[in-house]
Amino acid sequence: MSVVNMYDTVIIGAGIAGLTAAIYASRKRMNFEIIAPEFGGQFMVSGEILNYPGIVKTDGVEFFSTFEKQMEFNNIKVKDESVTAVKRIKDEFQIVTDKGVYPTKTVIISTGAKPRKLNIPGEDKFAKKGVTYCSICDGPLFANKKVAVIGGGNSALEAVHFLKDIVSEINLIVLDKKFTAYEYLVESIKDNKKVKVFFDANTTEIIGDKRVTGIKINKDGKDMTLDVAGVIIDIGHQPNTEIFKGLVDMDKHGHILVDCQTHTNVPGIFAAGDCTAGQEYQYVIAAGQGCMALLKAARYLASKEGKDNTR
Amino acid sequence: MPAKSIKQEIKVYSTPTCPWCHKAKDYLKSKGVQFKDIDVSKDDKAAEEMFNKTGQLSVPVIIIREKVIVGFDKDAIDIELMKK
Repeated sequence: MSVVNMYDTVIIGAGIAGLTAAIYASRKRMNFEIIAPEFGGQFMVSGEILNYPGIVKTDGVEFFSTFEKQMEFNNIKVKDESVTAVKRIKDEFQIVTDKGVYPTKTVIISTGAKPRKLNIPGEDKFAKKGVTYCSICDGPLFANKKVAVIGGGNSALEAVHFLKDIVSEINLIVLDKKFTAYEYLVESIKDNKKVKVFFDANTTEIIGDKRVTGIKINKDGKDMTLDVAGVIIDIGHQPNTEIFKGLVDMDKHGHILVDCQTHTNVPGIFAAGDCTAGQEYQYVIAAGQGCMALLKAARYLASKEGKDNTR
Repeated sequence: MPAKSIKQEIKVYSTPTCPWCHKAKDYLKSKGVQFKDIDVSKDDKAAEEMFNKTGQLSVPVIIIREKVIVGFDKDAIDIELMKK
């Protein structure tokens, strides 16, 4: 008869939050798995990281490499599997993946977020044919060409900052009347003659033949067509939480509701990073929450076993 | 066992800043296969060649023999490398 391995915790997602939880789980010698279809989260596509304490300046590729070394140092291997469901069985859980089932006493959800789509005509048709959500990946393909960047927040302005020395012209289409990005980013693109800003403008269609040739926008009630070879969409993110609907409480956007100690409404399930309803989405916050979630999961286990009475 | 020394048969179209390109190339190296790395950020003709061959304007694009793999898809790479 085979003995079922009951894990202390299973961490779902391997971005900064999940990897931080895994480091702490490893150092606490817990019986755990970290499961994700890909090692690395949104930081992978950062052109510049300038606000992570202890690191003056890095980028997604270098940061990823450091994380790989840190996982190796702590003997952590990310299971390359996709979680399809989490089942609650009394006060324990089953993590179901495309390759197996993992029984566990606690769960840490750290599945991050993905780029939000515009949902306009042409967006899907021209995906990877001029439409991209990753400026640092595909931006160099538009060298010396005109592009449009859609969005007015940090991601969009970081994209403009990255592209301004590569492309010939950037049409920055901002739905609001002003930027919602950090001041230093606004300053970084200010007075750049390559950048044309369209505030209060709605992108209505992406057009082309075999590849993108332009976009249609509506500004001040007038329809306009702009000739561009690339469209970089940076209008924010949506949490990767579809499979947890009905399991834990969420806000109307699908962010998992947690208290300041990363507890969800379900005892034994914790959540950390950009999949939670924290409003502020920063790498260092994800790291802090990942650490908190693991420590709270450990405390929850100790409490259940009667080894901790501090909660 | 994956085929070895098929550099002429494997191409990776990439850009230097693309993290998935780095991951794809590292993965191929870990499998012990050689490949031709084509930096499309510096070579307009190569970028056009990539688009004409694959219909894709996004990196990485990996071509293993005749098979076009868009993005870093480990399973698809493994399947192609297993073929003799």
